[in-house]
Amino acid sequence: MNTRKVLLGNEAIARGLIESGCDVITAYPGTPSSEILPAAAAFADELGTKTVVEWGANEKVALEVALGATFAGKRACAVMKQVGLNVAMDPFMSAAHFQLEGGMIVIVSDDPGCHASQDDQDSRGLALFAKVPCFDPASAEEAKSMVASAFELSEKHKVMVMLRPAVRIDHCRQDVQLGEVRHASAPADFKTRPAGHKVVMPARIMPFLEAHNARFEAIRQEFETGFGQYNFEIPAKRPATLGVIAGGVSFSIVKDLLEALGRDDVAILKIGTPVPLPEKLAEDFLARHERVLVLEETFPVIENQLLDRTRVMGRWNGWVPKQGELVPEVVESVLLKALGEEPPSDPALERLAAARERLGLSVKKPVLCAGCGHRPSYFAIRKALPDSIIASDIGCYSLSIQQQAVDTIVCMGASITVASGLACAWRSEGAAPRRPIFATLGDSTFFHNGMTGLATAVYNRHPFVLAIMDNRITAMTGGQDHPGTGDKPRQNETGVAVGLEEAVRGCGVSYLKVLEPYEVEANLETIREAWAYAKEHQEPAVLVFRHPCVTMLKARPEKRPVTVVAEKCIGCRFCQDRFGCPGLAWDGENRKARIDERFCVDCGVCVSACPHGAIVRIGEVL
Amino acid sequence: MQFIIVGIGGQGILFASRVLGHVALSKGLHVNGSEVHGMSQRGGSVISHFKIGSYASPLVRAKEADILLAFEQGEGLRNFHFLKKGGTALVNTDRPEAFSDPDLVAFLRAREVRLYPVEGTRLLREKMGGRFLFLNALILGALAASGASGFEAVDLKKAVAELAPARFREENLKAFELGFEALPERS
Repeated sequence: MNTRKVLLGNEAIARGLIESGCDVITAYPGTPSSEILPAAAAFADELGTKTVVEWGANEKVALEVALGATFAGKRACAVMKQVGLNVAMDPFMSAAHFQLEGGMIVIVSDDPGCHASQDDQDSRGLALFAKVPCFDPASAEEAKSMVASAFELSEKHKVMVMLRPAVRIDHCRQDVQLGEVRHASAPADFKTRPAGHKVVMPARIMPFLEAHNARFEAIRQEFETGFGQYNFEIPAKRPATLGVIAGGVSFSIVKDLLEALGRDDVAILKIGTPVPLPEKLAEDFLARHERVLVLEETFPVIENQLLDRTRVMGRWNGWVPKQGELVPEVVESVLLKALGEEPPSDPALERLAAARERLGLSVKKPVLCAGCGHRPSYFAIRKALPDSIIASDIGCYSLSIQQQAVDTIVCMGASITVASGLACAWRSEGAAPRRPIFATLGDSTFFHNGMTGLATAVYNRHPFVLAIMDNRITAMTGGQDHPGTGDKPRQNETGVAVGLEEAVRGCGVSYLKVLEPYEVEANLETIREAWAYAKEHQEPAVLVFRHPCVTMLKARPEKRPVTVVAEKCIGCRFCQDRFGCPGLAWDGENRKARIDERFCVDCGVCVSACPHGAIVRIGEVL
Repeated sequence: MQFIIVGIGGQGILFASRVLGHVALSKGLHVNGSEVHGMSQRGGSVISHFKIGSYASPLVRAKEADILLAFEQGEGLRNFHFLKKGGTALVNTDRPEAFSDPDLVAFLRAREVRLYPVEGTRLLREKMGGRFLFLNALILGALAASGASGFEAVDLKKAVAELAPARFREENLKAFELGFEALPERS
């Protein structure tokens, strides 16, 4: 086969995994990495491979499952987003030290600019920390090719390797060369000898560390000369006034920029293997250029590995911004500054800015979908107990901050543990909580990291209400399955659905009720009852708000169209500030709410959102 | 050829770059672009970059876009700075009076922008029973009529037919035609 196809970067990576004969692929979804695993399943189906493609309940689980497969000599890969690696850091560190039988890649997608993340951490930094070699692709095609290289490097040195695509590689769409499956692993077998070679224990670890450090240096030597397709120089066509060392998409941006500006006096050293840095390659480039600008996202990982930074312009001396994405406009301004040149003036832009200001244009923030079950769930909690503290979590429902219904978000599963901590704060005074405490998280997040927190809360008798927003899917990342759904990524393969209620009861919870979020009025009493129970019995009470994600609906639900009765709408904006549905727009001119037919899905739930009865079911208007 | 495609999450703007990529690939051209997935897709501002030709980076730099496709007027106006001199803007409009803003007029003149306002939302309401999901095909129809993409209308239409889900193919083609017919005279 010799065809090109336009693929999403994540699809190109997935294709690389299947072509490389990866036997076991695991993941927990997280933007920008989420599409890799489903695409791998689709390619495996298409090419008829036996590849095991599975979601883990969280990233730690996913990485450990992949690692176990390499113990039996298979090629394996675990996929996650950058903050997912924090969850998987424990096995990541241990796995780094093993001599692996089968090739292993960890794919960690970074999110410079925090498009869909709580921070902009650079996973190359964690690769350096763990002394795990890292590939940093500058295009979809290169990412696909690096998958194959990473497996080869992994097997040659018996070491785990990281592939770190950043968001612009994950979510680029590019034409990519397709190939065939090119590798087959040996039959699965676990070598029991030498005894304990897969056991990390204090007494055994010293020789592991020595071997680990030696391998890291050997790989550095290999990166110096052996990976010219990823590490190369684009020399200036005349004596260079500036050198640029760049990796990842920053390389692609600066390359296009120099071409567009017609600059032939700037040399580029591209680094595709930033960890461990091929030091001699970089030092040779530094020696030949008077000044060198380093462009990489998001941390100074290449920069900090340079032994002499006196001629380096980077983050350490303020030439490159320490936060924010290096988009082409930023790269242009940094480059011109480094060249000592002024950007051309553009008076037309000032007129555009003035027009935007007058027309009142601003970035539209993401909101929960029209008809989403999360919105009325949070609305009901706030309405039933306005004084409640709501500890929320990572998922679509974090968008309920716009309903003023989210008080804390920390990380996956921390809704439950933060609620515990709040309860402990009052307990430390010998008192019951003086405000109702709620923890809210989704079904996928509950299986990810919620159960351990819940078991701890039951054990320690922490009084709060846990509201599980069960929409039967991992929604924010685009609709992936999880243990609670039982469905699996590959065709004709089904798993076993782990019952949410059974899991909750298994953690020792005695108060558990399942609610339909659309029934706002009916739910108010149950919400108050659950809090009263938690407080009286000194234990967590659990409410499951169950409504399938509207983006996954297979059949159209019953239509309950509504309208806003203009005479009754007093323009208080309560429905906007506390309910905030895209289908319920604000008419600024008349200062009244109105239905926006473009987005309204006729769920009829907003009838409960108006304290003045101005939103009514069509047919009930008199 | 560099495109910026903007709108609000849920309007189906990714379909436009898929169609453009499909046509480009069939002509042996390289493509590179950048999409928004995940949380930002939930009803917020979304922007898609798309480049046809030999580009290393998936991102379009400000003042470099040949064509701006705006599925929503406000999002279009917010992203006019991407347009290069002599670029083309195709905007689904619901408040055409905004285009009379004196500063905006001055900007469009200075940049020599060819502006095509299209009342896509109204057309879909009147001609397709308010099925606003077909806005993407309508915009592509208007793009085909403008001739700005350098692709033949027949190729774009064929790509829409091939990439649309089978059960919505007819509606997509109808919306494409509506967009094609709707293009006003050059302004």
